[in-house]
Amino acid sequence: MGVSIFIQQVLNGLTLGAVYTLIALAFSLVMGILGILNLAISEIFMIGAFIGFSLIMSGVPVWLALPGAMAVAAVISMVIARIGYEPLRNASHITPMLSTLGFSMILQNFATNTWGSDPMQLTLEGWLDTRFHFGLVSLSVVQIVVFAVTLGLCVLTALLIQRTDIGRGLRAVAENRDVSRILGVRPRRMILVAFALSGLLAGAAGVLVGLHYSVITPYIGVDIGLKAIAVMIVGGATNIWGALLAGPIIGILEVLTVAYGGAAMRDFIVYGMMIAILLVRPQGLLGGSSKTSGGRV
Amino acid sequence: MILSVHDLKVNYGAIPGIRKIDFDVNEGEIVALIGANGAGKSTTMRAITGLLPFQGRVVYRGRDLAPMHAERNLANGLALVPEGRGILTRMTVEENLRMGGYLRRDKAQLETEIVATYERFAILGERRSGIAGFLSGGEQQILAIARALLARPKLLLLDEPSLGLAPMMTAQIFDFISEFRKQGLTVLLAEQKSKHSLAIADRAFLFSMGEVVASGAARDLAEGSLIRNTMMALV
Repeated sequence: MGVSIFIQQVLNGLTLGAVYTLIALAFSLVMGILGILNLAISEIFMIGAFIGFSLIMSGVPVWLALPGAMAVAAVISMVIARIGYEPLRNASHITPMLSTLGFSMILQNFATNTWGSDPMQLTLEGWLDTRFHFGLVSLSVVQIVVFAVTLGLCVLTALLIQRTDIGRGLRAVAENRDVSRILGVRPRRMILVAFALSGLLAGAAGVLVGLHYSVITPYIGVDIGLKAIAVMIVGGATNIWGALLAGPIIGILEVLTVAYGGAAMRDFIVYGMMIAILLVRPQGLLGGSSKTSGGRV
Repeated sequence: MILSVHDLKVNYGAIPGIRKIDFDVNEGEIVALIGANGAGKSTTMRAITGLLPFQGRVVYRGRDLAPMHAERNLANGLALVPEGRGILTRMTVEENLRMGGYLRRDKAQLETEIVATYERFAILGERRSGIAGFLSGGEQQILAIARALLARPKLLLLDEPSLGLAPMMTAQIFDFISEFRKQGLTVLLAEQKSKHSLAIADRAFLFSMGEVVASGAARDLAEGSLIRNTMMALV
């Protein structure tokens, strides 16, 4: 009984961690390549959840709603890049960050006015409502979808960053803007690509969270977004792959804390770990000399 | 004539970096810009490439270049190997070489040329999977030049290619540069080491305080006393 509950909690933690990983990856893409914390990502994730919910509730199949929400989130992210980041690129680090904070407030306000502040619920039907039982442990189809989509997007992101001209262009801009230019890279275009990718991942995370919890509010971005920032810091703020390691760690830690220590302890443990990492290893678990990390462009 | 520079002026804020520069480069030539540190050679190279705003005219293959269009200039065959080499230190040697062909559409041909690069510069082949930042200074310079060649430039700008290199490696780098002439590549070379530059250049322009103070055939300048008097400590 005890072992089954533990395994169940670990599975639940991995599901939560998968979502944290995607959002943290969205933060890390902009942080690692441009060196700024895009605070609007939390709310882009929330908008992604609402767009996904709205599409599914209007009869659009999940496999279409997911890319639809991702596309909307990417467009919002690109608008923020053009209006909120690019004109402030040469200002101090805090300025573009404050600009993205302003966008996050606007997005939350937009969501409240459009969908209301009450929780929106989704009733899963058909194959999405299926659960597989292994003794006392169960795994839902939604959880499998969350794992599969997260894994797929992480692999695609890895391939894009490491193996394609776009990825090499992003890394070149991150390392040295002038050198990237004499090699033919257009930094402004790469900044837009980084924001778009970040939006795609945050939008996907939004849809997955919506499916997993079946209920969303315009305020989910703050809680889950802050956890994703903790994941990014624990994994390594300028290393986009740190999120892959830290997401499951934080997810499992959070769920186990709630199961065995009580919900009141949850944030204490998660953010306590973040502070401990900042004190002991400020570059994060995988931060440091990775070739995917970089300073501000 | 592949490049002509007329009345070039570059300012760093209120401070003039280049006061007035005029020179030209003919197709197939190696032209050296020589002068002491701070004379304006690198600023000139960066302005021509499109990394710095400038006043005056830079005419490349009959067309006026607009300032700050490095990407467009590269697409038109104007490649720079910058001072300090400009290696992407977190990427592998192979990734750096691929970045040389970033704008090229013929990727299959690029792969063939990368393999040929490994044959031509054996050290790069041996280190192809290694992180470029771990190469020695000389190896990084070879990588920077090889990377620029993969962009298939018509005019190659080399900014201080011998900076920080041991004499043997400097000689090797200059041997490579003199080979470019045989391949029909035009080279604009900025160097403090005027002896090496004048030995391989066709013509040279002596820079001082952001102006050209002497010019002529490289051999004549090498034999005269003007350079020695102007750059005493640097020759």
